[in-house]
Order: sequence, then structure tokens, then C-alpha cells
Amino acid sequence: MSTQSAQQTSRQPTMFGIEVPRCTSCNRPISPDEKGVRFLCPNCGQAEIWRCEKCRKLGNTWRCPVCGFEGP
Amino acid sequence: MSREGVAPVPEGEFLVPIEKYMFAGVRLGTRVSNAYLEKRGFIFAVRHDGLRIFDLRKIDERIRIAAKMIARYDPSKVVAVSAKPYGWRPVEMFCKFTGCRPIIGRFIPGTFTNPRASYYIEADLLVVTDPKVDTQAITEAAQLGIPVVALVDTDTPFQFIDLMIPCNNKGRRSLALIYWLLAKLVLIERGLLKPGEDLPVPPEEFETRLREIE
Repeated sequence: MSTQSAQQTSRQPTMFGIEVPRCTSCNRPISPDEKGVRFLCPNCGQAEIWRCEKCRKLGNTWRCPVCGFEGP
Repeated sequence: MSREGVAPVPEGEFLVPIEKYMFAGVRLGTRVSNAYLEKRGFIFAVRHDGLRIFDLRKIDERIRIAAKMIARYDPSKVVAVSAKPYGWRPVEMFCKFTGCRPIIGRFIPGTFTNPRASYYIEADLLVVTDPKVDTQAITEAAQLGIPVVALVDTDTPFQFIDLMIPCNNKGRRSLALIYWLLAKLVLIERGLLKPGEDLPVPPEEFETRLREIE
């Protein structure tokens, strides 16, 4: 079972080359043509927050990984 | 003055005395219930007549955080928008002190998205007075990936907003006080004002006079 699970994890797609930003709320990669947004955490200004179009539209909560501030 | 619905807090914790907040009616929401804001702890109580009351601590905290965020951007690329007449003077005064760009009245479509237009503005941050009214500005900001800071009430939509400031965005005094505080804190963050110092004008100067609208 352990070898099977290892194979399954190795089968997951990995991306090489350009680093694609991930949405802070849903952790989904944001494609360049998507209308995402990027800004520094309003509270601490250290972490970079990315939000995908879908999360912005649904108003999903984002959380700063450095200070723990929750928005919007 | 009524202090109904306010938890006991030590004086000096807020940016301005609680009485000022109360007089301006900053914490008053609408009768529309909003599960989104309630779940996030913005709504403190519901009055017997159905009015939602915002948590003053949250309002205070969000104003501080929004000011920090605005101060990080180049002032010439921060745009403050208000289509509401009661927001015209607060926005103008806020922009006068902070150096941001005001758009009052009708937001012409293409202001952010059409570079060939004479009225084109390149923006890095958008400050919106009422997302329910300033829909066009938010839509264009969403298309371009511009972060949006918005004053929200219980009846406002939450789409494409990156930082909410829960407050009464309908009152004349409320809008004046909120923008006065924002202007003051932005200047403090930039180091142009000392922490204990106030703006040279009182919040009443930010209020829209009723004659101006007529």
C-alpha cells in the first residue's frame, strides 16, 4: 500500500520552469490570463497575498501567513 | 448620549472618543441582515427595530489597517471614488490631504481600462465609498487586478473587495469621520504627522454641506 501511495503522489503533475502564484485562500495556481490580484498584507506588509478571480468573486476569506490577519 | 450596544472598553483604546463615533453614527448598519458580515464578527448586535449595529472595535481596527495599506502605495496612484453626494466632500478632502486622486460623481466607463481615453487613470489601489453604487469602478478594478478597499454596510455586495471597513457608509457625518481618520492615519504612517497630532481641520470640515448638493 505504501508503494502504491508513493506512486500516486509521484503521478501528481509537477510544474517546472516559471513559478505560478497560488491563491492564498484556495491554494489554486493562478494562471497569467486570470484576473487575480496581488497585494502586500495590509496589516504587516511582509507577506504577499494573491487572490484568484473566483475567490474574489465569492468573497472567500484570506489569511496572512505571517501575521494571521484575516480579510477581506 | 446613548451608549446602547457598546461593550465597556477602556478610554484611549479607540482612535477618537466613543462619543464622537456615536454622534457620527458610524456603527449603525441597515435593517438588511448580512450573514457574511455576521459570520466574520463585524456585527455586534441587532437593535429592537432591526438595525444592525457594527462592532466599534472592528471599525477602529480596520481603519488602522486600511490606513497602513493606503500609505504603502504611491499617492498619485491611489484613487478614491464616490458616486454618492454625501461622499463627495469627504473624498475630496481626503485626497487633498493625502495626495490621492478623487473621482466624484459619475465614474466614466473606461477610466481604468481604456488607455486611449483622455480621462484614463493608471491606478494601483482603489478606495470605494459604497460598493453598491460604485459598481463600475469595482468591475474595472477587478478586470485589471487592482486591490479594492471599500467601506461596507450590511446591504452592500462583497464581490471583488480585498479589504473591508465595516461602517455606516450612508451618513454624512459618518463618512466625514471615517475619511478624516483615514487621512490622519495615512499621514501618520507616512511620517508627515506625529502620532498624537491631529489634522489641521476638524472632521466637520470633511462633511458635505447640504447646500453644496442643491
